[in-house]
Amino acid sequence: MNRTISRAGLAAVVAAAVIAGAWARSGSGTVTAQAVLTGLLLGGVYALVAMGLTLIFGVLDIVNFAHGAFMTLGMYATALLASSAGLNPYLTLLVSVPLLFGVGYVVQRHMVSRTMGGSLAAQLLLTLGIAMLLENSLLLAFSGDTRTVPVSFDTPLRVLGAVADLSRVLAFVGAMSLAGAVWLLLTRTRLGTAIRAVAANPEGASLVGLDVRRLHALTFAAGTACAGAAGTLVTPLVTVEPTAGELFNIIGFVVVVLGGLGSVPGAVAGGLIIGLTEQLGGLYLPGQSPLLVVFGVFVLVLLWRPQGLFGRPA
Amino acid sequence: MRLKSCIAIGTFLALTVTACGGSAPGGGAPDAADASGTIKIGSIHPLTGALAFDGQQMSKAVKLAAEEINNAGGIKSLGGAKLEILGADSQGKPEVGQSEAQRLTQAGAVALVGPYQSAVAAQVATVAERNKVPFVIDVASADDILKQGYTYTFRLQPSSDTLGRYGARYLKELADRTGQKVTKVAYLHEQTDYGTSTFKSFSDEAAKLGLEVGPQITYDALKASDLTTELTKVKAAGVDALAVTGYYRDGLLTAKAIASVQPEVKIVLGVSHGAFSSPVFPRDGGAVAEGIYDSNFNYDATKPESKAVLDAFQAKHGEELRFIPFTSYECVRLIAAALEKAASRDPVKIREALAGISFETVLAFDGPVEFDESGQNKNATPVVLQVQDGKVVPVHPAAKAVAEPRPAAE
Amino acid sequence: MTRRLIVLAVIGVALAPLPLLLPAAQEAVAVRALLFAMMAVAWNLMSGFGGLFSFGHAAYFGLGAYTTALLTIELGLSPWIGMLAGMAVAAAFGALTGYLAVRYRLKGAYFALATFAFAEMLRLAALNSELVGGAVGLTLPVTGEQGWWTLRFDVGDPAYFWVALLLMLGSVATVIVLLNSRAGLNLLAVREDETAAAAAGVAVVRHKIMAIGVSAALTAVAGGFYSVYYLFVSPDLAFGASVSIQAILPAVIGGVGTVWGPLIGAAVLAPLSDMAATLVRTPPEFLAFLQGRSGLDVIMYAVLLIVVVLAMPRGLYGRFARRPR
Repeated sequence: MNRTISRAGLAAVVAAAVIAGAWARSGSGTVTAQAVLTGLLLGGVYALVAMGLTLIFGVLDIVNFAHGAFMTLGMYATALLASSAGLNPYLTLLVSVPLLFGVGYVVQRHMVSRTMGGSLAAQLLLTLGIAMLLENSLLLAFSGDTRTVPVSFDTPLRVLGAVADLSRVLAFVGAMSLAGAVWLLLTRTRLGTAIRAVAANPEGASLVGLDVRRLHALTFAAGTACAGAAGTLVTPLVTVEPTAGELFNIIGFVVVVLGGLGSVPGAVAGGLIIGLTEQLGGLYLPGQSPLLVVFGVFVLVLLWRPQGLFGRPA
Repeated sequence: MRLKSCIAIGTFLALTVTACGGSAPGGGAPDAADASGTIKIGSIHPLTGALAFDGQQMSKAVKLAAEEINNAGGIKSLGGAKLEILGADSQGKPEVGQSEAQRLTQAGAVALVGPYQSAVAAQVATVAERNKVPFVIDVASADDILKQGYTYTFRLQPSSDTLGRYGARYLKELADRTGQKVTKVAYLHEQTDYGTSTFKSFSDEAAKLGLEVGPQITYDALKASDLTTELTKVKAAGVDALAVTGYYRDGLLTAKAIASVQPEVKIVLGVSHGAFSSPVFPRDGGAVAEGIYDSNFNYDATKPESKAVLDAFQAKHGEELRFIPFTSYECVRLIAAALEKAASRDPVKIREALAGISFETVLAFDGPVEFDESGQNKNATPVVLQVQDGKVVPVHPAAKAVAEPRPAAE
Repeated sequence: MTRRLIVLAVIGVALAPLPLLLPAAQEAVAVRALLFAMMAVAWNLMSGFGGLFSFGHAAYFGLGAYTTALLTIELGLSPWIGMLAGMAVAAAFGALTGYLAVRYRLKGAYFALATFAFAEMLRLAALNSELVGGAVGLTLPVTGEQGWWTLRFDVGDPAYFWVALLLMLGSVATVIVLLNSRAGLNLLAVREDETAAAAAGVAVVRHKIMAIGVSAALTAVAGGFYSVYYLFVSPDLAFGASVSIQAILPAVIGGVGTVWGPLIGAAVLAPLSDMAATLVRTPPEFLAFLQGRSGLDVIMYAVLLIVVVLAMPRGLYGRFARRPR
């Protein structure tokens, strides 16, 4: 725990230096404040996506390429319910989360579980296949038309000269609440302890009588449910289309590796760092894709500290 | 080992041969010379993929045009021969566009229409050139396609250089018409060639008009999920007007960010923007779309002929014909006029007719369609549209407008 | 080795008359199959035989495509020279990034993600670089001297097929010869047990980098041919994630770590996408709802991929042609 706090302190110092640099570079306090605020809010969304991914990666040791597609599924559930039944998009969480939990459970039980302990390639390709199947089934069913789900009560909020739409703030708050819930689940409940035991040592967990197969399925389902929640929360911010989740999937991996496998605080910190990197990187290198900076950070972390900021060396 | 090898060869060969031979019945000898049958025109559009929304309507518009020409007696100089549209889906992918263009020419198409994306256009143009079949680009923005020295490729829509220059000119005129003082303009654009080249032409022209352009702010259209920071830069610069070039999805983000940041500009003008003059923009954007201008090519809304086309499309498909598919519709009429003039089914003769044509269009251009050396329609110009009460209406120049420009509410 | 080379020669001879037999539209499908095969053969060398799972072969493919296109457009050089240069560039890039990844002991998923990140960085760099045409990409000249030196022929000329066939045979032959060399045997030893191989005196890092370099060079040939055949390259077509997937799919479906698997996978996949396109264009009565829809081809790939991974992990060739071990 102390390690975590000292790392967070270090991160805060680095962040402060980067922000000061960006201020000097852009020459405007408001622009910098806006970049920081937008970066934090975006980072919250990234953290939310990474949360499910890090659970699955950390416990099942699977690089889940279908995570973005699961998120898209959540977006479509929200968009369809909001436009056809006129539901408040945030209420559709009650549908998207259980739906994706169920989908995740079935997918793990009937497909992913058969590759457990198999080659890495098999797992990676299986999730890739599932992603392609989901994305293109959505394309076949709903065509490539884009959909938007406006929030009727959306309004800009002002902080220090910077503005943020209420819908973005809600997504951020949702992400942080979910992170708290997942963290509590993992650290304060019997189920969480069992999941952590499975992650640390599947054979050992099996020997002390834990049902590893069931726990794997539950973890995968919980991770997928996080993707569903993320899908719903970002729906008011983005245009919904069959490939909408892809971008988040890629950034999700970056965040997971940055934060450390299976680490919930790592996912949160990683998400915020990537969000800020993207926005402030835009101030440092105008005209370049912010993703270039993000991937640069990613490669550096992979080479220099593959266990991530919050992970323990293997 | 021997068994293995034999099976390997066997499967490989059997699969290749049966699968290749067994799928499409296509191919065969070109029957363009068939003098009695229909005249085939190939239509290549993104019926699937990210741009399917427009691509599907482009394909419908092409078919509607052919139907109307056939009902009016077909191509008279060819004994009333009827047009037949051969449709193809580019999927928005250049290599698919290329192979489909190839398939259509082999199936006897004497002209090609399409394709919406510049990358696909570059591909189809090579096929057209190599097969000596005229290709009329309805919409594709990159000017590079016509700089290859092709002789079989023509483009109906204005060049991106024209669009950028007119953007600056119209911005100045709009300010004058609405009685607002505009001297400093910020420019926000997506960072690829489309945005950059439009920006360059815009700022060249703006300099001549005494407008100061800056700051130039760019973003990655594919990855952007929030443009608030970009708009804050606009606000911090304290400019009078904002010019924007981008695609649909990021256009919505721009409009949302304008509404929340409130950059206090008098005019927001899209320069051939992918969202701001789309009829679905007010639906998706709601209140944030209101009052935004776009300088873009369009049909001439003051002409009764345009209304007739819109009505016919509405009656047939139950949806509103948008300006991009309208351009595809006009391409078929243009090809029909060239066929009429050439009095021949020979693609080479049709090309000659197109190269020398002067075609009265219902698009809001600055004169009839006439092509220059490179194949660009030299009279193609944009008009200014504005979102007013949830509808996109042409407001400038006055001769082609159906409403007055509305200054932004202070 | 000799027997495998003979089999390869028989395949070559048997396929050579194909473009004379097939209708022109199908020749394009056959060329696409050969392109798939080239990429998969190369991927298979690094990831199947070398055990280094790459999710970023688009990097090498794109470098080959862009190098060939640039040299042809700017200097008017023959695409053959362009392809050679592309091989060198891709091999150098592969060796450098490979060295970093191997040196810092990236394994499994981390290695795959690193290759992916390198390909994405190249894509973003190309997207923002004026030199290579930015987002629009590069168009190769259509007109000009035709022939085997310029690799420019009339559309649908069988020569395109023969060039692709030649390149594909060359790639497979390279892999066969390499596998039977001392270096190839060492590579297999490294894949099976790195520690044991190192203990036996095999230079682990050097062999891994060799596999990456050769694989990158062979992929670059496919990229070079792509730009010559389609006369066009753009950042997404060259460096996009879908290119990496295209290199993986035929190998996995045919059989990872087998010499013939990638060829079988390619021969299955390329016609499949064409069949899906035909089906959607003119569907039979009972599938009328598919008219004009899209996504079907990828759904078919995806289902095939899932079935292969779950039911026959050693691929079609491994499942049907190999005697069970």
